[in-house]
Amino acid sequence: MSDPREPIIRFEHASFGFPGLIALKDISLAIYDGEFVGVIGPNGSGKTTLCRAVLGLLAPVEGHLHIFDCACNELRCYHRAKIGYLPQKGVVDRNFPVTVLETVMMGRYGALGLFKRPGKKDRDIAQEALAQVGMDSHKDHSLGHLSGGQQQRVFIARALAQQPKVLILDEPTTGLDITAQHNVIELVQQLHDELKLTVLLITHDINMIRSRVDRLVLLKTRLFAAAPPAEVLKPEILHQVYGKDLVITEKDLVIVEDYHHHH
Amino acid sequence: MLDLLAYDFMQRSLLAAAMVGGLCSVIGVFVVLRGLAFVGAGTSHAAFAGVALGYLMGWPPLLLAIVFGLATVWITGWVEERGRMKLDVSIGILYTTTMALGILFIGLMKSYNAEVYGYLFGSVLSVTPEELSIIGALTVLVLGLLLLFSKELYFIAFDQEMAEASGVPARQIFFLLLTLVALTVVVSLKTVGAILVFAMILIPASTAYQLTHSLATLTLYSATIGIFTSIAGVLISAFWDVPSGPAIVLLATTIFFIAVFFSPKRERRTRLAHTH
Repeated sequence: MSDPREPIIRFEHASFGFPGLIALKDISLAIYDGEFVGVIGPNGSGKTTLCRAVLGLLAPVEGHLHIFDCACNELRCYHRAKIGYLPQKGVVDRNFPVTVLETVMMGRYGALGLFKRPGKKDRDIAQEALAQVGMDSHKDHSLGHLSGGQQQRVFIARALAQQPKVLILDEPTTGLDITAQHNVIELVQQLHDELKLTVLLITHDINMIRSRVDRLVLLKTRLFAAAPPAEVLKPEILHQVYGKDLVITEKDLVIVEDYHHHH
Repeated sequence: MLDLLAYDFMQRSLLAAAMVGGLCSVIGVFVVLRGLAFVGAGTSHAAFAGVALGYLMGWPPLLLAIVFGLATVWITGWVEERGRMKLDVSIGILYTTTMALGILFIGLMKSYNAEVYGYLFGSVLSVTPEELSIIGALTVLVLGLLLLFSKELYFIAFDQEMAEASGVPARQIFFLLLTLVALTVVVSLKTVGAILVFAMILIPASTAYQLTHSLATLTLYSATIGIFTSIAGVLISAFWDVPSGPAIVLLATTIFFIAVFFSPKRERRTRLAHTH
């Protein structure tokens, strides 16, 4: 492994958005190799924009963003294959004709590049990724017939099949039942520990990740905090971002108003 | 029926039908999965306007069909990418505009031209050796490109943003798909006609969609259905002396409804409905 304090993602006064609509403003943030980072903030605070920026899907309108050694000021960044991504998703079309193994194999396509056909090595990588998420026995099943939690595992396996250095998960627990939510987060933690992946986990469920992440990044267009959870989860800091939507219970649970996900 | 097969024109039409049926049904898989059904319909009418202009001006009709077809799909793709307008609105406008142009060009012709109507309704039984070689060359080109970029095409059909995020040049592949749809439509104009070509793209893939949960199997089923219905349609057309385009399409539609009826997906839905 490389030096644990080597930043692999570096925002320098970076702003993102379109003329007249700034989604993220003046972000300076370094994410280090092997870190487990939780990204929190209210709806519309720029969490997904941060993801898309790291993926090279969105160039900064001001400032700089470096990913690995690549200055991603232009949209084309061939390091994308080294970043596994689990997009925020509704349920997939139940009838979309794709098997679990075919889905995971897609993770190989970007890494392989044009004109190369996937071979046995790629199938082995995909099978191993399925084993890592505990879905190897479902490889020939239809993706649409799996439960929401199982589908998330398959999509995580697809990200792992890219053999990424960084794993970005955008609200991976949305729409899952409580058990499945815990299982998915547990899996992410396990992958972080075992594969030494740098993980960026976006979530609205602060309590679910607070004991697991190295740092919490608190966003609301601007960067309000990027520090260990104990330093971020203080009423005076959280109130700046969540305002009156924030409730902290006696047991120190943080509850925030959540008007975009109906459970 | 065997006597018929001895004729050159019959052999040519069967070969043309098999190629067009195979090509349309394979590209149809990506069209159906990527949700481009309406784009195919719009393109075929645009290509027909190109044919009509060709006959009006005395320019090569198929070349103009390609120009019109490509212009339509590229504008559509560009509009979708920009998110300026909903795809069905932009293609709806282009669809009717090009159809109006087609009718205008026909109206401007001094005399009735039966060949133009051949492109509208299709006449596979009158395919000439030259047309057959054009169809053959374009079929090899389009199928070759589909094969070469199949993994990227499957990925963008499933989830274009995800494909882009994982390092696939998704936008370029999307435009490649649109281009191949336009070329396929032009290849098929002479055999099934502008009005029905779209059925050849849509129906085999939609039929296969009812029958499988795997992308690879879907493509295989779709191609089989496409080639079979095209050949059988031409034979029916020659044997009973009915127009070939409708024979192919109505046969394909019949198979589609049979597939819907016996679809394992349908069974599963009913079972689910019972358990809930």
